[in-house]
Amino acid sequence: MNDILENIKTKGMQKFIALGALILLYAAFSVFGNNFFTVDTLVSIFDASYYIGFLAIGVTFVIITGGIDLSIGTVMMCSAIVGGTLYNNAGLPLWLCLFIIILVGGIFGLANGIMVSRLKLPPFIATLGTMMVASGVGSIVSNVQSTTFPMRSSPDGWYKDIFRTADNFPTGIFVLIAFTVIAVILLNKTVIGRYTFAIGSNKEAARLSGVNVNKWETVVYMISGLFAGLAGIAYAATYTTILPGAGQGFELQAIAGVVVGGTSLSGGVGSVIGTFIGVFIMSVLKIGLPYVDLQPHYQTLITGIVVIGAVLLDIYRSKKEKSVKIKS
Amino acid sequence: MQTPILKMEHITKEFTGVKALKDANLDLYEGEVHALVGENGAGKSTLMKILTGIHQRSGGKIEFMGKELHLKNPKEAQDMGIIIVHQELNMMNHLSVAENIFIGREEKKAGFWLDDAAIKKQSQSLFQKLGISINPSETIGNLTVGKQQMVEIAKAISHNAKIIVFDEPTAALTESEINELFRMISELKKKGVAMIYISHRMDEIQRITDRVTVMRDGEYIGTVNTKDTTKDEIINMMVGRVIYEDPKTESTVKEDAEVVLKAEGITMYPTVKNASFSLRKGEILGFAGLMGAGRTELARAIFGADKKDKGTIYIHGKRVEISSPMDAVANGIGYLSEDRKRFGVAVDLSVAENSVLSSLKKFSHLGFVNSHAVHRISKEYCEKLKTKTPSVHQLVRNLSGGNQQKVVIAKWLIQNSDILIFDEPTRGIDVGAKSEIYTLMNELAQMGKSIIMISSELTEVLRMSDRIIVMCEGRITGELDIKDANQQEIMKLATKREATG
Amino acid sequence: MRNKKMITSLLAVFILAGILTGCGGNTMTSQKTVEIIAKGFQHDFWKAVKKGADQAGKDLGVKINFVGPEGEGAIAAQVEMINNAINKKPDAICIAALDTTASLDAVNKAKSNNIPVIGFDSGVPGAPEGTIFANASTDNYKAGELAAQKMFEAIQGKLATGNPRIGVVSQEANSQSISMRTQGFLDKMESLIKSTGKSVSIVGHTKFANGVSGGDVTIDIAIPPEINDTQGQTSAQTLLNKDDLIAIYGSNEFAAKAIINADSAISGGRIGNDKVVAVGFDSGALQIDAIRNRKFLGSVTQDPISIGYRAVELAVKAMNGESAEDVDTGSQWYTADNIDSDTIKPLLYQ
Repeated sequence: MNDILENIKTKGMQKFIALGALILLYAAFSVFGNNFFTVDTLVSIFDASYYIGFLAIGVTFVIITGGIDLSIGTVMMCSAIVGGTLYNNAGLPLWLCLFIIILVGGIFGLANGIMVSRLKLPPFIATLGTMMVASGVGSIVSNVQSTTFPMRSSPDGWYKDIFRTADNFPTGIFVLIAFTVIAVILLNKTVIGRYTFAIGSNKEAARLSGVNVNKWETVVYMISGLFAGLAGIAYAATYTTILPGAGQGFELQAIAGVVVGGTSLSGGVGSVIGTFIGVFIMSVLKIGLPYVDLQPHYQTLITGIVVIGAVLLDIYRSKKEKSVKIKS
Repeated sequence: MQTPILKMEHITKEFTGVKALKDANLDLYEGEVHALVGENGAGKSTLMKILTGIHQRSGGKIEFMGKELHLKNPKEAQDMGIIIVHQELNMMNHLSVAENIFIGREEKKAGFWLDDAAIKKQSQSLFQKLGISINPSETIGNLTVGKQQMVEIAKAISHNAKIIVFDEPTAALTESEINELFRMISELKKKGVAMIYISHRMDEIQRITDRVTVMRDGEYIGTVNTKDTTKDEIINMMVGRVIYEDPKTESTVKEDAEVVLKAEGITMYPTVKNASFSLRKGEILGFAGLMGAGRTELARAIFGADKKDKGTIYIHGKRVEISSPMDAVANGIGYLSEDRKRFGVAVDLSVAENSVLSSLKKFSHLGFVNSHAVHRISKEYCEKLKTKTPSVHQLVRNLSGGNQQKVVIAKWLIQNSDILIFDEPTRGIDVGAKSEIYTLMNELAQMGKSIIMISSELTEVLRMSDRIIVMCEGRITGELDIKDANQQEIMKLATKREATG
Repeated sequence: MRNKKMITSLLAVFILAGILTGCGGNTMTSQKTVEIIAKGFQHDFWKAVKKGADQAGKDLGVKINFVGPEGEGAIAAQVEMINNAINKKPDAICIAALDTTASLDAVNKAKSNNIPVIGFDSGVPGAPEGTIFANASTDNYKAGELAAQKMFEAIQGKLATGNPRIGVVSQEANSQSISMRTQGFLDKMESLIKSTGKSVSIVGHTKFANGVSGGDVTIDIAIPPEINDTQGQTSAQTLLNKDDLIAIYGSNEFAAKAIINADSAISGGRIGNDKVVAVGFDSGALQIDAIRNRKFLGSVTQDPISIGYRAVELAVKAMNGESAEDVDTGSQWYTADNIDSDTIKPLLYQ
């Protein structure tokens, strides 16, 4: 019992602050925004959270190991383009194409993992390279044309129902929650998660303890890639057409969500639930700010301030924790 | 005579052209505590890394329990029961105690799902067996270094260890933690576990080990029975020459020497409480105390590295405001950190660059560095301090600990500091280099520099200081002139807790 | 053995052919070249521009080299492309600048190398006198006016009741071409409404606002803070969520897509010929689908083939020392009724 309380005290604090901030933000926009407090707006917030959410959950694993994955934005677009092109030009059935989208994401993740773990490239550089490679591959595969997925009216429009039904029911939130739960279990109840934290906490110690660090690091980057593939499906279902060369910048939005959710960029600390909340904070901001009639440049400004504030809060909190420790 | 559990014979190791081990031998019996000693660079660590599978030998033979041993990685060594407790504790700070102990061999259900309840229970019974009380769910990073080390030892035992290697285990422990450790070691001894004990601390070696193997320059020098051998004999074997460690008996500071630094009521919650002292010209002022007594924290507060809550500082009788290291440097204070690699030198810069790091302004004009002058001055100080380096362009990373320390000293001398704070000046430095540092400190004092020396080695404090200040739990508990000081007196003050005092 | 011989001889033939064609290339150096730097590559729009340019190259006997950066945000990449093109010393160069100020140095460099510069699409607006030979572009202001005219005809009847609102989604406020489409629309709509005796407030973005408050009709402009689908959709949705909205205009493909995606996220949908009247610009799969389903009243399209063709035509005039004026390559209004006609179909892209 004491155990649980202690856990909430040390690990859960940031999550509580984040959740409080999320609720506060939503309430504030509901009061001050015109027409913000509607089901349709809520569905839009969900819409904006699916693909960023998947990206962020995947990259949370990488960040906990002390690494970074900058490629997820363009990998998401690239895998969606590959799937869409196969659907349009090769006539493969849609379900297979969706599966291939996840697979392509996983392959990019595997490449990242091998570069980081075996070839010892710094994650920043390796995934920066993959970011460009994925962007290029997307352009080549699509022959530099936009890729259009089937519209809702077409016979293959069913895949849109995964994220939103025709009468606007946000099925996607359940999909996102389901994958969040899967990720939480992976991170906290399986060896993958244990080694993710171990590597981020002290890679050398993990290696000397007989952990196959190379293998697990690769697995972690693959998870990030697979989630980028999932994000590709979510993006296609939500926005229908995909432009090659796009996708850059989404990785930073995802990473911002992760950091706002309390995962430390220096590794060893983090939670998927925090990421989930962080992503929603970013989405509520993104969707909500136009509703209070703010000019676009102010919206970007405020989003930036929130990210910095969240990180500052985290630093302040961990400092306080340390000082408490010394006293006891 | 029983047969040894481990025999390492004629072990050699080459790292791309450099011979780290030329001919190393070691044999070990069940239930034996075997000290492995030698100056830094003698090859102790390399030999142990070969034993524990971190490195592979280039030549020689290892026999373990009667069978020839060929280890490819640390995991194989662990599985065979050969475990090392590293000097720099290899813990995953964010993970719990139980998670750390069982990392790499978690209890699993269906090969994938973690069973944390099981490892907690096993950790608990492990601790019970060892008679220590640690909560298996606690995050490792929240434990003291001593407790962390106990977890490491528990981890070793949970591997069903037959051989445990301790690499400088007491370097960061308090007196009571050391006693606890020694109690555990004798427990393990009774159970028949063989232990290799690497340390620079001769008194510890004499206290707990059965035999001592000495290495020098990658070679086996000899093995002796501890109880038949004196400290000086072992040291002679290590360095190949005779070194005397005589305590100082009388202060060399003149009665009327000027007070160069006076600290009054320095307070920094929660580690330093109302500390006042003064330092005279040409004096070596020793700060003794146990780990966590607040000595380093006091030094950092005076140097402005950490913000003090209260207190005033006078330099040459004048009140000064020191709120950052910059202020301290401007007032002629230099600080030599106990953790050289983190705070003292920039290991990837050259000797010359490090030497002028604090005084670059003097050697530059309009932002351009006069490299000729830098070269000249750093060379001059290398000669003065007898720093062993092929050239002043050598990267500090490639220097030995003692020579790195000299570079730091050069840095402060070039900056014209006349108050030098030495924090554990000889930690991690081998015996030969140690005496050179001592000579140097004495020379500095004779030159009129004033030195504050923080040291956890009582022999060092007694040998160097003109006056000794003892701290305990953030307070100054006593001041001793060197002629009245002895180990017993210092320890009494160092354990003088607030409640009892 | 025989095989090996055959491969060797085949190789020899290839090498010989290579040398010959290489020589052929050398003898052809008298052919004039035109370097064309577009704003992008990924849109079918630019493919159509290239088609027109290639056609003109064939017709007029000049060599065309068509390049463009990967995305419309790649300002630096495009400036590099322009510099590369100048270094090749072509006979003329056609530019659709992503960012005018960033391209000015390059344009001046072309001038000092005596390479004539032709602007196309959005051209290089604001370039100093004499640096640009002439422009072949859609008069975006006029095209915006066309959209306003068509929308006004459809909503005229609804203006009388209450204080209606007209929404405008604009991708950004910095691009000259998109701003002109927005501005043309706003000016024309304002004057049309005023001619019915009503007052107009323009709100939502400082650049376009007219400072009138409490007008009979409000024109509300939404510009996303970042150019991506999520932000576009959000901007469109804030407009669609306002109850007094009677019409909405998206001034390029991105904006039209944003309106369509936002509408699909609203239960029951808001746009349609008998509901909120929607007018778009350019084309694209989603927009064409919306027009066919009569969710969109119609859209204005530029004539990208004509842009490409006219640009090369101007380039040839320039290298021949002739004089020329700016050319308006025209814009067309299309609806569900004429979308498959011969005049419109070639101008649209999926």
